[in-house]
Parts: sequence; structure tokens; C-alpha cells
Amino acid sequence: MDLLIKKATIIDPESDYHRKQVDVQIREGKITHMADEIEGKDTAVFEVPDLHLLPGLMDVGTVVGDPGFEHREDMYSASKAAAAGGFTALACYPNTQPVVDSKSGVRYIKNNEEDLVVNFYPIGAVSEKCEGKDITEMIDMYQAGAVAFSDGQHPIQHNGMMMRALQYVKSFDGVILNHPHDISIASGGQLNEGRISTMMGIKGIPNMAEELMVQRDIYLAEYTDSRVHIANISTAGAVEMVRKAKKSGIKVTASVPALNLKFTDQELLNFNSNLKVLPPLRTETDRQALLEGIKDQTIDFLTSNHVPLEEEAKKLEFSFADFGAAGLETAFLLSWQILKEEVSLEDMVRLWSRAPREMLKITLPTIRPGTLARLTLFQPSIPWQVDPKRLYSKSSNSPFTDEKFVGCIRGIINGRKSEIFDR
Amino acid sequence: MANNQQLSTKHLLGIKYITAEDIRLIFDTAKNFKEVINRPIKKVPSLRDITIANLFFENSTRTRISFELAEKRLSADVVNFSASSSSVKKGETLLDTVNNILSMKVDMVVMRHPAPGAPQFLAQHIDANIINAGDGTHEHPTQALLDAFSMEEQVGDLRGKHIAIFGDILHSRVALSNIFCLQKLGAKVKVCGPPTLIPKHIDTLGVEVEYDVKKALAWCDVANILRIQLERQDIKYFPSLREYAQYFGINKKLLDQLDKPIVIMHPGPINRGVEISSDVADSDHSIILQQVENGVAIRMAILFLLAARVSEARQKSK
Repeated sequence: MDLLIKKATIIDPESDYHRKQVDVQIREGKITHMADEIEGKDTAVFEVPDLHLLPGLMDVGTVVGDPGFEHREDMYSASKAAAAGGFTALACYPNTQPVVDSKSGVRYIKNNEEDLVVNFYPIGAVSEKCEGKDITEMIDMYQAGAVAFSDGQHPIQHNGMMMRALQYVKSFDGVILNHPHDISIASGGQLNEGRISTMMGIKGIPNMAEELMVQRDIYLAEYTDSRVHIANISTAGAVEMVRKAKKSGIKVTASVPALNLKFTDQELLNFNSNLKVLPPLRTETDRQALLEGIKDQTIDFLTSNHVPLEEEAKKLEFSFADFGAAGLETAFLLSWQILKEEVSLEDMVRLWSRAPREMLKITLPTIRPGTLARLTLFQPSIPWQVDPKRLYSKSSNSPFTDEKFVGCIRGIINGRKSEIFDR
Repeated sequence: MANNQQLSTKHLLGIKYITAEDIRLIFDTAKNFKEVINRPIKKVPSLRDITIANLFFENSTRTRISFELAEKRLSADVVNFSASSSSVKKGETLLDTVNNILSMKVDMVVMRHPAPGAPQFLAQHIDANIINAGDGTHEHPTQALLDAFSMEEQVGDLRGKHIAIFGDILHSRVALSNIFCLQKLGAKVKVCGPPTLIPKHIDTLGVEVEYDVKKALAWCDVANILRIQLERQDIKYFPSLREYAQYFGINKKLLDQLDKPIVIMHPGPINRGVEISSDVADSDHSIILQQVENGVAIRMAILFLLAARVSEARQKSK
């Protein structure tokens, strides 16, 4: 595509144009020219107030649903929703039907990605059918394009299998992602265990259900000298464990869902099933610890924790509703709303663009002439209000129905493809 | 029955959503109704133009009969619905079931449901006045009100009184509603049972925890003994009923060791020989059957007071 972007502030510490306001010429998917003033001849011009260009954002651990659960989200709707949320790349979980546990599953995603505006990076399953019993052909999947391995929404319960998986991926310096959630401790829990769950008379999920597994995965990473990513942590204790592990040189990274930076279990007192998520919303102490972990870089990156679900699975009595919230379209803006007083736009680029790619060893996009245009178009100070009718995810389980964000995503440019929204 | 006072809410979803003034108003109204149901003619015409649906998605005998009697003594029109004979098994959602029933012009819904918060969920989506007749392990507000009402009859003003709740606190909606209700009335509450059946964070509600039955009995003025909810225990929380009865059951010998008489209560149905021995259940200290009688009066009071809100809403919509 050809486009002339006018008066854009570049946010890319790797670029000579960092923090400069310039015009950017894009031809055939590449940045061809950047200068104070470029004359627009025969090309479309894009000019909006307060425009910032960020290296394309990436979400890790997106639940798509294609194949098998296309009524929730197919690759097309996920791609559209991702673009609306500012993402140019998704590393998607293998929790499809069938599970992505062989190279054919990986290839299904790579083949279908070609026509879409967003890059899809498959995360292969660690165990066959994500059943937690036997490890999959991970080398084969890696060769076919899998960027990491995880059982996604099925946290790995078996210590020995987790250990062998970590050992096995060392042959190609792979990384295992695991949600820390011990099912035998959490058993039947529906929300954070504490005063709120006690008042609601509902079985809670103790912090320990998460922390036991965080500590286990840290031990196993140390023992195997392999790379583990502790996905979507939510407790103060987990942040502290990761902090200590990093200090002692263990190859551990960690992420936090944007939603857990915003809400606490207090929000659930009225049995709001739209905020029934995993990891569960914890207490204010935990939330503050997550924010602290972001500031001191214990937390490597943030996630949308996007779990699309149909209304029939959510508009139910609290304990009957499924876990999960749609997050792709709001996660980045939500985190900006919460963090903007505390972190810079450079930090936002690290949290949402650089760190996920560094972990997955994917080429980092940079904003300079001669490179592929892989850009997020962002207006940090322009307000934007969520309109549920104009969300692109197929599922309607966004916890935000009319939230007003300060910050507006205008779209993405990803090589020859782009998606720009009229907002 | 002239009464200009009103409840602060249009539903009774749980004790935590009502005020101490609401509780007093319910008790004052219930005293009048208790007198009514002891008359030769036990019926008043107060709810003549009100239709009530009793929706029981979970088994119940006494609560259901108690509500139905209360409704009939107030002359309401009553329809009953139970899960075993319903469309629930055909996969209909709660919302659809209730909306279907409401389309037949029902004013009030009395609902028992296995999911905590189901009445709140309903209240967010439908217009009728809802009375929670027990929602999973969350609340059972009418039981707590009749319990506190019965306690007051025995020991007077509950302020500063010691109430101990024994048994399966973890799986009990009665315990939670009792705690909220008794605290609102100024009582001190202690829970006692095996540690696996006591919610870990119960102390955050201002409740003391005691694992020794003897000590809890010596402390309390009233002992409210709860049933072991075997049907809600998906895993083993204690090894055997035999051991439970031996170490956590209330028997005559324990009561004889106390230096003062205490009031014995149980919301029923009782497992004789498990949480309570027969000689305790049938003793003079036990007010188990008075609780049942008061249950009808309390439910009449709640229906009566909420029906006032229905009439008010009707006036407004005219």
C-alpha cells in the first residue's frame, strides 16, 4: 500500500527519528522516506491530531477459536479485532478443536494468515490434545513455524512432564509458556479467595494456587537451565518470586493481563460474570504489586488475555458462566489509561512490542526508512469511547460497554496491508 | 394491618443487602402475623391481588411449604414450579424460564437455586420482586431472619449476646446469612467445626473461629447447629460421619457439663446422631419446632412488606 502519513511523532528508541515529529512515506509496504515535510503526490494522505507511530504491538497468548470454535472467533474476526486494538501480531494459543499439537495444526494457521492484516504466530501444544500426559512433536512444530509451546488454557499440572518439556525445547532454545494455576488447590474456585469470595459464599481460588506453580516452574527452569514464561500472573507473591528468580539469573519471563491492572475482586460483589476471568481479579495489594512489577521490569510484558465467549456462556448465573473476557480491542488502551502517569510511551513500546518479540525471537519492527512498515497508529491524548456495536470480535464478552479511554487506536499498517479506522 | 413503613429494597436477595431497620420492621410485622396464624381463622386478605411464583430449582420441603403457607394465609395466588418437573432439564436458561413465567403476569418470585448469586442475576434482568429462598452456598435470608427472630423470643435483645454456629460453615448459606443478620442486630458470632469446613477468610467478616466444641458451647448463649451438607461436598472434608459425630456433634453429655442452660437451634432437616443427638434435639432447650412456626410468620411479613412495593410500582405505572 502507498500512504503518506503527516506529522507523526515516532516512538521507537531504536530509530534516529525517535521522539521526532515527521512525515512518513510508505510505498509497497515499506517506509521509503521520513522527513520534516514530504509533498504528497498521487498518494493517499493520513493526517490526524496527536498522531504517534509505534512499532507494531504484539499480543501473546490470544485465544482465537479457529478451527473448531469459529462461532466465538475466527482468524478473520481476531485479525480485525487485533487491528482495532493496535496489534500487528498475535501469538495464539493452541486451544482450538483440534488442538494445535502437530505440524499440520501449525500450518493451518500459517496458511490462513496470508490474507489477513495481522501476523499470526502459532503457539504449539506441549502435550497431545493439551491433556497434560505426553509431550508433542515440538521440534517438528517449531520447524513448521511454532514460536513457543504451551497448553494455553490448560495449565500443566504434571511436574515431570513440565520438566521434560523444558528439557526438550532446549535443543532449539525454545520457550514454554505456562499459566500458573494448580487445579487441585483451586478446585472449583470461581474467583479470588478472600473476604469477597467469603461474602459471596463462593469457593475461592487462593493466591497459593498460582504461587505454588510459579515457584515450581522457576525451580524447573533453574534445574533444566531452560526458558520458561510465566504467563498472566496476578498475585503479589508471584511478582516477588519472579523478581527473585530473575536476580539469580534463572531464565524466566512473566506477563500480566491488562484487566488485572484495572480491577480487583471488589468488582464481583454484584456477581458480574463478565469479570469472571482467569487469573482471577485479586485484591488491591496484589494490583499494586503488579504495577510495581511493571515499573521495575519484573513483569516483561502485558497481555490482552483475550478469551472470546458467546453470550450463552457468559450471560448466566456466576458459577455457571465460563471464565474469560474479550480483551484484544481494549487491552492496550486500558493499560495506557492505568499506566500513563507512571510509565513513558517508550515503556509502552517495550511492554507491548519489544519484550514479547524478544522472548519469541521474532524480528523487532523498527521505524526508519528502508524497513518494512509495521506500525501502530496511536493518539495518546485523544479520547475514545467504547461502542459495543462497533467492536470487531465475534464475541460480546467485553467487560467494557461504554468505557471512556484517553487514547485512541487509529489502526495498523503491516507491510502491504493496513486497517485504518474512522474514529 | 396499617403499616406506613417500608423496606429499603424491592427484593430480598440477601441479608447483606438490607439494613438493621429493615430487619426490625420485618420482626415487628412478623409479630403481628404470628398472632394471626394462631387465630382460629388464620387467613388475611392482604395479598389478594398478588400472584407469586415459587421457583424451586433445588430440592426443598420445609422452606417451600413454609413459603406456600405464608402466601396462602395472605390470600395470594400461588404457582409452583420445581426443577424436577421443569424445562430446566431440557436446557432452558434461568432467564428464559423466569421470563416465560413472568409473561403470565406474576408479581413476585420466590426462588431457590443451586448457584450463588442467581437471585442477583435475575434482579439485574427482570422486573418482578424477588425473594431469595436459598442460593447455593451464598445466602438464605428468610432462614436467618426466622432464626434471629426465634433467638430474640428466647433471650431478648441480641445486642452483646453470644451466638455460636456449629458444623459445615463452608457449604452453608444459612451460616452466612445468620452471620450478617446477627451482626446487624449487635450479637457476637463464633463459628465452630472441623477446620476443613470453615472458610479460611471467615474472620474477615468479624467472626471468631473455634475448633473445640466444648469451648464454643461454654461461650455461647445460643447454639445454632447446622446440617452436614453431604450433597454439596464434592470431595472428602472429613473422614467419616462416625468421627464427625464423636468430635463435632452436640450431645446431652456436652450440654450437662455447662454451668448454664443454652438455647439449641437447628434449621433442619436434622441428621439425628450426626451433628445433633436425639436427646438434644428433643430436649427442653431445643426450639427447633418454634423456628418452623416462626418461619411462616417471618415469610408472611416479608411477602407483605414487599407486596407494598409492588402496589406502589403499579400506582406509578398508571
